[in-house]
Amino acid sequence: MAVIAGRPNRGALLPSRLSALSSSRAGSLTIFIVRRILWMIPIVFFVILITFFLMHLAPGSPWDRSGGRELSAVVRHNLDIKYGLNQPEYQQFELYLWNVAHFDFGLSYQYEGKTVTTLIGEGIPYTATLGVLAFVIIVPLGIAMGVLAALRQNTRTDYITMGFATAAASFPNFVVGALMVVVFSVEMAKWTQHAFFLPAADFGVDDHLIMPVITLALLPIAYTARLTRASTLDTIRQDYIRTAWAKGLSERLVVVKHVLKNSLIPVVTTLGPTFAFLVTGSVIVETVFNIPGIGRAFVVAVTSRDYPMILGTTVLFSVVIAVANLVVDVLYVFIDPRVRLT
Amino acid sequence: MHLGTRIRALALASAGLFVVAACGGTTAAPSLNLAPAAQQILRVNTGVEPNSFDPTQQSYTYEAAVGRNTFQSLLQPKADLSDVQPAAAKSYDVSSDGLTYTFHLQPNAKWSDGKPVTASDWVYGYQHLLNPALAAPYVDPFFDTTIAGAANYGNVDVSSASAIDSYLSGLGLSAPDANTFVIKLAHPAAYFKWVVTLWVAIPLRKDVVESAAGGTFASTDTTKAEVWANNASTIIGNGAFKISEIVSKDHVTMVPNTYYWGGAPKLQQVIYYYISDGNTEFSKYQTGALDIANVPLADVTVVQGDATLSKQAYLYPELTAFWMTFNTQKAPFDNPKVRLAFAKSIDRNALATDVEHGTAKGLASFIPNGMAGYDTSDTTQSFDPTAAKALLASAGVTASTLNQFKLLTRNTTGSKTINQYIVNQWNTNLGLNIQLDVIDSKTVTSRIRKGDFDIYGPDGWGADYPDQQDWADIFVSGSCHSLNWGCPTLAGYDALVQKADTELNQTQRNADYLTAQKELIDQAAVAFMYQPYEYDLVAPYVHITHTAFDDQYAPGDQNYATAYITAH
Amino acid sequence: MALAAPAVQQAVDWEVAEQQIGLWQDAWSRFRRNRLALAGAVVVVFLVLVAFLSPVLVHFGIIIDPINQEVTHIEAGPGQFGHLLGTDELGRDTLSRLMYGSRISLSVGILVQGIILPIGLAIGLAAGYFGGRIDNLLMRITDIWYAFPDLIFVLVLVSVFGPSLLSIFGAIALVNWVNLARLVRGQVLAIKEKEYIEAARSSGSPPIKLILKHLLPNALGPIIVTVVFGIPQAIFLEAALSFLGVGIQPPTPTWGQMVFDGYEAIYANPTSVVFPALAIGFTLLAFSFIGDGLRDALDPRMRR
Repeated sequence: MAVIAGRPNRGALLPSRLSALSSSRAGSLTIFIVRRILWMIPIVFFVILITFFLMHLAPGSPWDRSGGRELSAVVRHNLDIKYGLNQPEYQQFELYLWNVAHFDFGLSYQYEGKTVTTLIGEGIPYTATLGVLAFVIIVPLGIAMGVLAALRQNTRTDYITMGFATAAASFPNFVVGALMVVVFSVEMAKWTQHAFFLPAADFGVDDHLIMPVITLALLPIAYTARLTRASTLDTIRQDYIRTAWAKGLSERLVVVKHVLKNSLIPVVTTLGPTFAFLVTGSVIVETVFNIPGIGRAFVVAVTSRDYPMILGTTVLFSVVIAVANLVVDVLYVFIDPRVRLT
Repeated sequence: MHLGTRIRALALASAGLFVVAACGGTTAAPSLNLAPAAQQILRVNTGVEPNSFDPTQQSYTYEAAVGRNTFQSLLQPKADLSDVQPAAAKSYDVSSDGLTYTFHLQPNAKWSDGKPVTASDWVYGYQHLLNPALAAPYVDPFFDTTIAGAANYGNVDVSSASAIDSYLSGLGLSAPDANTFVIKLAHPAAYFKWVVTLWVAIPLRKDVVESAAGGTFASTDTTKAEVWANNASTIIGNGAFKISEIVSKDHVTMVPNTYYWGGAPKLQQVIYYYISDGNTEFSKYQTGALDIANVPLADVTVVQGDATLSKQAYLYPELTAFWMTFNTQKAPFDNPKVRLAFAKSIDRNALATDVEHGTAKGLASFIPNGMAGYDTSDTTQSFDPTAAKALLASAGVTASTLNQFKLLTRNTTGSKTINQYIVNQWNTNLGLNIQLDVIDSKTVTSRIRKGDFDIYGPDGWGADYPDQQDWADIFVSGSCHSLNWGCPTLAGYDALVQKADTELNQTQRNADYLTAQKELIDQAAVAFMYQPYEYDLVAPYVHITHTAFDDQYAPGDQNYATAYITAH
Repeated sequence: MALAAPAVQQAVDWEVAEQQIGLWQDAWSRFRRNRLALAGAVVVVFLVLVAFLSPVLVHFGIIIDPINQEVTHIEAGPGQFGHLLGTDELGRDTLSRLMYGSRISLSVGILVQGIILPIGLAIGLAAGYFGGRIDNLLMRITDIWYAFPDLIFVLVLVSVFGPSLLSIFGAIALVNWVNLARLVRGQVLAIKEKEYIEAARSSGSPPIKLILKHLLPNALGPIIVTVVFGIPQAIFLEAALSFLGVGIQPPTPTWGQMVFDGYEAIYANPTSVVFPALAIGFTLLAFSFIGDGLRDALDPRMRR
């Protein structure tokens, strides 16, 4: 058929890796990546700028208590001096930028004598482990469920994945987490006389990760599955796929080679930020399962107006999200070499 | 004591002594039925990570729970809260003018590294607390017209080391010999014996602080002065336990201080977890991963209805009181009649028994049950909707005026539930339509500090020590906008409280404080609401002596030195 | 170019088809034939009716007032003390709170998507279609927007504007358009290089027509999924934001806040979290069916 044979290139049907990495392409890709990495400097600058001034605009000072007697005016004044808050804001901002340029993110206001770098360093291994594990589940499961549902549109398979996705999106993850704890920890411990149960919240125990990872992964799996289903349906209806189908290739081959590859763009687009959100922590999952990660640390920093900690975690997140989106854009080229990056 | 982020963090227990014992025993039997050493581990939840392991920098109950176990103050309250008793000081004398306190230290007192505790360590510890550059959050009772020479705290130039040094050396603190620590006061204060029981008033080792900082440092250097408190190996205290492991955001582990003068504790490990979610804590206790846990409000009925759990549950009052604050600078809340009408239209008993499931008790007066000054004879604020309506009518205030006011509420689950009940009581019993304003806790603080509110609550106070001075001072006009957000004008109150604070005759003091309390109630300075109770689960194999007031956070936390795990 | 001929033919076919049958008329007739989509629409109409009628029902005493507290019947299970679905932590009737809660939760869920959709579409289409500097600039702005701490922004918003329903729509929309924008842009990047677009472009179609007639219909599936999935997320976000003081204050019920409050009582009364979650689930399901139906109805390839 003309539609296949006559395509300007074969990228749509064959693995695109080779064509994507043809020498000139690789060269322009390198330039593209380097440019985008340089772009991170203004991004981080603007993120700091916005966060810094918003943070100071937000009502409440770091020395306000959340109940009970306030610190005396004298103590508050001395605390301002201790942490340099007595200087004008633009000077504080300049000083902060200068320090960040030297990778010094300052001292936390909340934890006496601890640097932001230490606090983030302590939390990131837990958070990242959890996030990466969840991501490793989300990608294959979400895509597989979505493709299956699309191929078997309006069959039982489709309805089951639809049901699952609906349930996962309408029960927020703290409820899912808590319900799992009730069933697999508390009730299980009772039934088995404490012989077998999952730890309710015990970071460091071998099987502690099971429930948090599932809780964290459910909604992204549901969303990825629905997204994959939608874009797969779009792809299946493209004429050349119908043609490939007609050519008698085995269904599986059609799916893997043509449909999947062509339906991945929206999935990859959303998986980038999803990955960034996962590895930088979910306050809810970390709270329900009591995980000492930085997702909760950020929210605690906001509620206690721990300015350096807020800025530190925000800068970290801005870098992660920028890198994730860069990876997404590069992946576009691998998926479909016709995509032109600028 | 600062109230923690959760209502539960308010825990200051009161009322006598009770013993939670295994095998049905109520007192420690001669044979202790001890579990083997490997099982002598106590796992408790404190909910929140301490901001510092330096007791002088601690202000919340969950922090002091660690501080009090790793360091020891000069004195501690007696179990019945009637007086103080020896702790790190074997005894103390007060001069006849009430101005000089001489503390005779325990002769065998040792630091957790085995070195003896000397009086100069006490001087150094108090100076560390009073160094204005370090801005210790709970320093006020020490400089605020108490310790001689300390009143200038707020005027010291904290950028000048010489200014700080001369301020610190001018304080009324001295060590005439290695075992005697003398404190001179600026004026007589009968309550000072209680002030030295605070967790912030501890000794410190100059050599440890300096070696952790990498050498001597100027007294303006706030970073180096706190390096020691961030590393388990340099947190050397004089308490029964020492910190062996700090896992940030997760837990802290304490092990016995084998050099402790009172004998090393039987518990081989005390682990304080930082689980902030009530459901998680409750789940963890049920799977046997916690030995002591607080029961979240919603789960109280679950525990009460559970044959096993209900036997492990303990309910005891806290030395805490809650009230609703009116902005008395704003009409019509400048009118005591209006405030009283609001106070009288809340059914406190239904709040305590139904909404709080019995984990609170209605309190229409100021000082809570369990300490000196508790008195419920004045029933002016008691529930009486008819009288309340009449008061409102006689004040000439219409519903439409009152309906434009809002009840400012912190966004904690506890405050939100209670305030929905309270507002419903006002709306039902007074025929009003007042709305809630639930916002982020820090925003609430910044608003009430500026006086930008109509009604706010529930706000409260947990006793630092069981002396009325700790309570009565809250409502003196000078402390407006510190906890006294409503700033009511109370004729004669300030003079009365000041007289009682400096009076040495206890009977006279009690009488004066009672008169002062009566004025708070009658003028409806605030609407007094309830006294909270702790409702905790304690595993049957945990043997703790619970001495009420000492237990700042979890049951028995001041007596872990004598607590143990029984064979099970 | 000979190789592109079939694609040109395709594009021409569609335009001819559109002239013959009106786009919307055609879509509507196909939507009506989709039974699931129709069922979804019926459910949504029902929910909207409930939302409109619940104050009336309360007024005439047909359902219990959702703010009426029976403190002696706290956390009652379904069917106890005359409460069909039980009560909450202050003894308020769960059924009437669910019915009343639909008012705010539905409007938040739907209206917020109504704000996000045009913003996300406009920015995504512009970035993807024009590419180059415009794309780079817009996408770097989304990078900043993603990283930007919305929690603090909301705190500032409350202090400046105070609580209002409008600030809730604004706050949720403001933090959520980025995802859609990047999604649309990705779709456009991929589709615009396809032959039939090239063909349409070379045949001289103006950009707007190209976007509306060729780019958008082919990118619709994932966009609809994202918008539909945004509905429950907005409902939950409303509850989280109310917590910070933006928007709806208790005791006015919303589904999201009912889930949050129900979570506290997960041991005492698990149904108090299940019922509002089910209501949200049904809403999501209904909109998913409608979304699927809409996508099929608007699909250019299905129109032959």
